[in-house]
Amino acid sequence: MSVNPTSSGGSGGGGSSGSGGGGGGGGPCGACKFLRRKCVPGCIFAPYFDSEQGAGHFAAVHKVFGASNVSKLLLHIPVHKRLDAVVTICYEAQARLRDPVYGCVAHIFALQQQVVNLQAELSYLQAHLATLELPSPLPPHPSTPPTMMTPPPLSIADLPSASSVPATYDLSSLFDPMVQPSWPMQQRPMDPRQLGGSGSSSSAGGGDLQALARELLHRHGTPSPGSVPCSSPSPSQSFSK
Amino acid sequence: MSHSTRCAACKSLRRRCPKDCVLAPYFSPTNPQRFACVHKIFGASNTTKMLEQLPLHLRAVAADCMSFEASSRVEDPVYGSVRIISRLQEQIIEAQSELVKTKGEIDFHNAQQQQMQQLQMIHAIAQEGEDQP
Repeated sequence: MSVNPTSSGGSGGGGSSGSGGGGGGGGPCGACKFLRRKCVPGCIFAPYFDSEQGAGHFAAVHKVFGASNVSKLLLHIPVHKRLDAVVTICYEAQARLRDPVYGCVAHIFALQQQVVNLQAELSYLQAHLATLELPSPLPPHPSTPPTMMTPPPLSIADLPSASSVPATYDLSSLFDPMVQPSWPMQQRPMDPRQLGGSGSSSSAGGGDLQALARELLHRHGTPSPGSVPCSSPSPSQSFSK
Repeated sequence: MSHSTRCAACKSLRRRCPKDCVLAPYFSPTNPQRFACVHKIFGASNTTKMLEQLPLHLRAVAADCMSFEASSRVEDPVYGSVRIISRLQEQIIEAQSELVKTKGEIDFHNAQQQQMQQLQMIHAIAQEGEDQP
C-alpha cells in the first residue's frame, strides 16, 4: 500500500519535499529515525513525522501506543483522514506522558466541569430573567448570585462515548486557544468516584499540543488558526500528581 | 481478586495468570471487551508498563482512563476521545454565548426598571408641587 504524499497538499509533510518515504534521498522520516530502521518508499509514517521534529513526536506515540499498533490503525484509515488521526494520536500520547494516570481524560473532565458550571450559571440567570419579566412587584435582586448547588462530581461512567457525539468535526477548532479550559486551582486528586481539580499545567500542555497540531496542519497545507510555532514538545516528560 | 480463573488479559494472551498479575485487578474475565480494546490500541506490554509505573492506589483510575481512551479510539479510529473534547468545547462556546445574551437581557430589564423608577419619582415630586398651595 502506498501512501499518497501529496494528499495533504503540504510541502513539508514527509522527510523532504513532501516525499512519501525517505528512500528518495531525503533521509529517514522521524519515525524510522527513531526506530533506527530503513525508511522505505511508501513508509506509512513518513508523511506525518518529518526527520527533524517528527522523531520527538513519534517517540511519544511509540512509548504510549507502540509503532506497530499505530501502523495498523493508520492502515485501516482512509489516506485523507490519516493526518487528523496522527494529530489526535500524538495529542493523546503527549497527554498520557504528561499525566500517566488520567491522560487526556483529565482534559475531558475539566471541560465537562466547565460545561456544568456554565449551564448552572445560565439556568440561574434565566430563572432570574424570568422573574424580571413578571408583571408583579419585584423583590430586590441580589447583587451576586446565591451559592449555586454544587454540581455532582463527575466520574468516568459519565463520560460520553465517541459515537454519541455528532459526526461533523473540525480539527482546527479543537486547538482554539479561546476555548481551552481554565484549569481549576485545586490540587485534589481526581478519582472516578469524586471529581477534583487537576491543577496541573495542562494549559501549558494544551499550548504545546496546539503547537503540535498547528505544525502538522501547517505542513500539510491545512489552514490553521494563528501562526505556527516551531517549538517541539518534549516527548518524554511525565509527572504524576 | 482471585486468580483461580485467568483475568481477561491472560485469557486473551493465552497465558497463565500469576497471582501477582499486574493486569488482573483491572481486567476482569467477565468483561473481555475492555481488555480487547486496550490491547488493540495500547498493547498488553505498554499497558502493563504504564500501570507498573504507577503507585497501586492510582492504577485502577489509570486502567479506567486507558480503557475509556481505547474504546473511544476503537469506536472512532480517526479522532478517538478527541471528538468528545471538541464537542465539549463547542458546548462551552454555546453556553458562554447564551450567558452573554442572558446577561444582556437582564441588564436591559434593570435599566428599564431604573428608568421607570426615576419617572415615578419625578411624577411624585411634580404631584407634591401641585398639591401644595
